[in-house]
Amino acid sequence: MIAVELHQLLRSRRTWVTILMIDSLPTLVAVLLGVTEVGPRPGTGPAFLSAVLTDGTLFPLAAIAIVLPLFMPIAVSIVAGESIAGEAQQGTLRYLLVRPVARTRLLVAKLVSVMVFVLLTLAVVAATAYVTGTLLLGDAPVAATTTVSGTTLTQQELILRTLLALAYAMLSMFGVASIALCLSTFVDAPLGAALGTLAVLVASTLLLTLDAADSIAPYLLTRYWLAFVDLFRDPILWRDVVRGALLQVVYVAVFLGIAWANFATKDVKD
Amino acid sequence: MTPMGRWSIVVAGIAALLAAPFALRALPVDDAGTDAAALLTQVQEAEDHPYSGYVESQGTLQLPVTDGFTDVGALLGEETRMRVWWRGEDRWRVDKLLTTGEVDLVHDDRGTTRWRYAQDDVQRSPDPDIRLPRTADLLPPSVARMLLDDVDAEDVERIEARRVAGIDAPGLRLSPASEQSSIEHVDLWADPDSGVPLRVAVVGKGARTVAFTSEFREFSAATPSAGSVAFRAPPGAEVSFDDVLDIADAANQYAPLVPPASLAGLAKGPQADGAVGVYGAGMTRLLAVPLRDQDAGPLREQLARTPGVREVRRGTVVALGPLGVMLTGGEGDGGWLLAGTVTGDTLVTAARDVTTGTLVRR
Repeated sequence: MIAVELHQLLRSRRTWVTILMIDSLPTLVAVLLGVTEVGPRPGTGPAFLSAVLTDGTLFPLAAIAIVLPLFMPIAVSIVAGESIAGEAQQGTLRYLLVRPVARTRLLVAKLVSVMVFVLLTLAVVAATAYVTGTLLLGDAPVAATTTVSGTTLTQQELILRTLLALAYAMLSMFGVASIALCLSTFVDAPLGAALGTLAVLVASTLLLTLDAADSIAPYLLTRYWLAFVDLFRDPILWRDVVRGALLQVVYVAVFLGIAWANFATKDVKD
Repeated sequence: MTPMGRWSIVVAGIAALLAAPFALRALPVDDAGTDAAALLTQVQEAEDHPYSGYVESQGTLQLPVTDGFTDVGALLGEETRMRVWWRGEDRWRVDKLLTTGEVDLVHDDRGTTRWRYAQDDVQRSPDPDIRLPRTADLLPPSVARMLLDDVDAEDVERIEARRVAGIDAPGLRLSPASEQSSIEHVDLWADPDSGVPLRVAVVGKGARTVAFTSEFREFSAATPSAGSVAFRAPPGAEVSFDDVLDIADAANQYAPLVPPASLAGLAKGPQADGAVGVYGAGMTRLLAVPLRDQDAGPLREQLARTPGVREVRRGTVVALGPLGVMLTGGEGDGGWLLAGTVTGDTLVTAARDVTTGTLVRR
């Protein structure tokens, strides 16, 4: 079941077009920075963007910071929102379930497929960013990269921490995927599931700017997304990274649980 | 499994997940029962105790400051996240954590080094007695040390213990003895073992809400390693030395003025030996800084736009929670900036005293 879903994902032209579109933004940023050599004012713009003019090897991290708050969640909402509702809209869900397929397994397969999409996207974005960063941006000595705390990292440490950041970014998208997947089991239109998920994201982002919502801020979906920056402090500040990871696990457990209860019970007519 | 069974499992699971944080918070807080005077003594004796941890401060004071005042407005008006390693008064490191990097202060016996990641620069400077507030001043032990320096047992009472950074911390309420203070009270919770203050909350007179809090979220009373407070400029960073730290330090060093020995009845502190005066102590404290017209003008414009501002005979005055701010003089003039935890009447009297009692140094 999972293999079938992955095969469909990788064969779909839309998958690669979406990844290309997401990848184009950080690439465009790299080109603009490389040509103009005008970085954001210190303290403004996405994390690491002001540093890439001197050290291009940091651009994969800047690229994650560029796509993570908006582009990635939109893409994940659309892809995950379509997973069940898309089959229902096309009228294929009923036929899919005629086969001896457990609904829970189908749900898990759909989630795995979405997460592979996230993994692929992040890998492509990071790889492209590394190439564009080293070719177009700063060429500081590759033997040592400066952490945000002013200490230096070896290439091995930089690679390890970048992989950790990518894993954290992937985990951050888990919550989005499970909300979209959950909504996808309730509606027959994929757009409804995607828009519902985006509404949750917008609400979370908005509430985080409101002082009156401070008491619920630690439980909001987007609260810890940019905590991957803490992996580049010295020593690593695990506090928000761990909280962010646990929060995503809770979101996944809650929304997958609801999706499971609903989908396993649902009377599928389409 | 029946549909009802599935939904029951999911609802029970969600309820358990949602209830967990509330259940943890509802666990009773242990109070060792130390009396107020003993707790005050323990806190005062812990002034030099080493510690480390993660601190969040939250200010609500919207200061009408201009660029010349570094990041004072942000420190007292916004949330600040910090990591600290404190081996002693002469050896510490405080990192201000930002989503785009860090601004770190590393202090040793030669002075203070500031590292700014986004600017990729390192600035070394001496530690003047007179300067504007900086991140290290927002730490609960630093705030407590400043507010406690004239407090004795009659000014304190016990309040309920509170869980801070996972520690059941006994609480103390400090009430200023002086009528001139604009602070209603300061609540402080301390580590019961080391006496290090873990949380400080300042409430202004007549206010229902807290104006400023600083709190450890993670805390250790163990001495941090020497390596944690060391700093070496990274390769490629721009390194500079500046013997003038900020606008208050510059005024103190170079303005040819000697402010009076007391303002509004508040005596000048021993650290003020230049043109800037620090008056009073503890919760009744006043700073008097002479400003040139190019510094006073923009500040005066900012003050004029601040809600609640009043024009009085000798200048412009405004109360921002427990912080009173007054700028003497008028358009086109320099002036004295008076700021502190004092009432508006005290500021007006201080303005009179400073404008009539200042001597010009020759």
